[in-house]
Amino acid sequence: MTCLCFLCVSRDYDELSSIMAVCIAVIAKENYPLYIRSVPTQNELKFHYTVHTSLDVVEEKISSVGKALADQRELYLGLLYPTEDYKVYGYVTNSKVKFVIVVDSSNTSLRDNEIRSMFRKLHNSFTDVMCNPFYIPGDPIQSKAFDSMVSAMMVQAC
Amino acid sequence: MSRQSNRTSDSKKMNSELFTLTYGALVTQLCKDYENDEEVNKQLDKMGYNIGVRLIEDFLARSSVGRCHDFRETADVIAKVAFKMYLGVTPSVTNWSPAGDEFSLILESNPLVDFVELPDNHNNLVYSSLLCGVLRGSLEMVQMAVDVRFAQDTLRGDNVTEIRMKFIKRIEENLPAGDE
Amino acid sequence: MADEALFQFLHNEVIQYVYKSAENGEMENGRCITRLENMGFRVGQGLIERFTKDTARFKDELDIMKFICKDFWTSVFKKQIDNLRTNHQGIYVLQDNKFRLLNQLSAGKQYLEHAPKYLAFSCGLVRGGLSNLGVKSIVTAEVSVMPACKFQVMIQK
Repeated sequence: MTCLCFLCVSRDYDELSSIMAVCIAVIAKENYPLYIRSVPTQNELKFHYTVHTSLDVVEEKISSVGKALADQRELYLGLLYPTEDYKVYGYVTNSKVKFVIVVDSSNTSLRDNEIRSMFRKLHNSFTDVMCNPFYIPGDPIQSKAFDSMVSAMMVQAC
Repeated sequence: MSRQSNRTSDSKKMNSELFTLTYGALVTQLCKDYENDEEVNKQLDKMGYNIGVRLIEDFLARSSVGRCHDFRETADVIAKVAFKMYLGVTPSVTNWSPAGDEFSLILESNPLVDFVELPDNHNNLVYSSLLCGVLRGSLEMVQMAVDVRFAQDTLRGDNVTEIRMKFIKRIEENLPAGDE
Repeated sequence: MADEALFQFLHNEVIQYVYKSAENGEMENGRCITRLENMGFRVGQGLIERFTKDTARFKDELDIMKFICKDFWTSVFKKQIDNLRTNHQGIYVLQDNKFRLLNQLSAGKQYLEHAPKYLAFSCGLVRGGLSNLGVKSIVTAEVSVMPACKFQVMIQK
């Protein structure tokens, strides 16, 4: 056990300060999941529910008509809502695809620019998936490259 | 966030992305039209040939290369001028056969396969087969019959893409080139 | 630019392929046009995904159409749309006075009947791009005087 934990920490040596997600989801514009990965030791259904609930908040944030706020034009939506144990962050692409990142609340070294950077990586990889001619838009994402990128951002089970 | 992000470099990149994505759409269309990968490879090669016999004129008009005196010179022109001009990459020329009639082009990156991940059911697909046809067709127009094939392919797990080119024979000028 | 030439050659070859495989099968002209358009559609989806990765969120439909006319057209067709007209009820007409993909076609009137083949893929590009931005449309194009071309976008609600 101790041996495994050691591997977990030293693997991302240059990213020791990064946030690790407990759940990452990609939701199609029609609001069904294209990709959802959560830390295997947790109750997955709970995460699915959390992601599902967050979509309402996303809709609210992006459909505010008449608001002249500058940040309304941003793709990054920031903290959607905190729950007791988790913080949920959102991001919407211009193609109306939503990314949701769920982070453990106890992760105290939360930095906004780190979350933004995670979303950027997600967005870049998702764009690559869209440009894979063998990928049919709307299908679940099944890409090794995408999987690796997400793995690097997830809490590793020790 | 401004939309006017670095227009010139974006334009050039967009252009190669247009080509890459269009090629991808073609390959997937062929995969739908033909039952097996070998047929798709053949079609891509044929289409590449048709492009090659016309591309050579464009190439000769744009570049200032004169007649190549030997196969080595041809290899250099292909790698350093043609590939650079059309695909923006410069493969290295290596693995010459002792007779000097065969060489390899090693591409660290192949723009045709940007973003491509081959699904499991296409193990025999040589995705970039178009390139073989293009090279064969264009060289035929300058009186060289060559054989071109992929020896390594990053899409199939290799570290680099390797195109192997072999000189077969000189084509007599008065023979019309066969259009497939 | 040389790689522009490469795309043009590929585009032509794709058209030849679609029509040649129609000869062997039972496809008529309409089906070929549809096939080309569908290929363009998928490419348009990918292109727009890449291209709007770093832009701000669009305000409304007109904002999107302006983007198509300026940024998208410039990147894909090397110039902006020359004239955009709309009836403000979901119909947009985009005029390109020198459409890049018609270069290959000679200017004679007898070639006009072939123009739709050379426009189908581009119509798909636009429709695919719009679709991925959440705008459903029908895109058609016509050539009256070479090399000028009018694209008509009908937004579907």
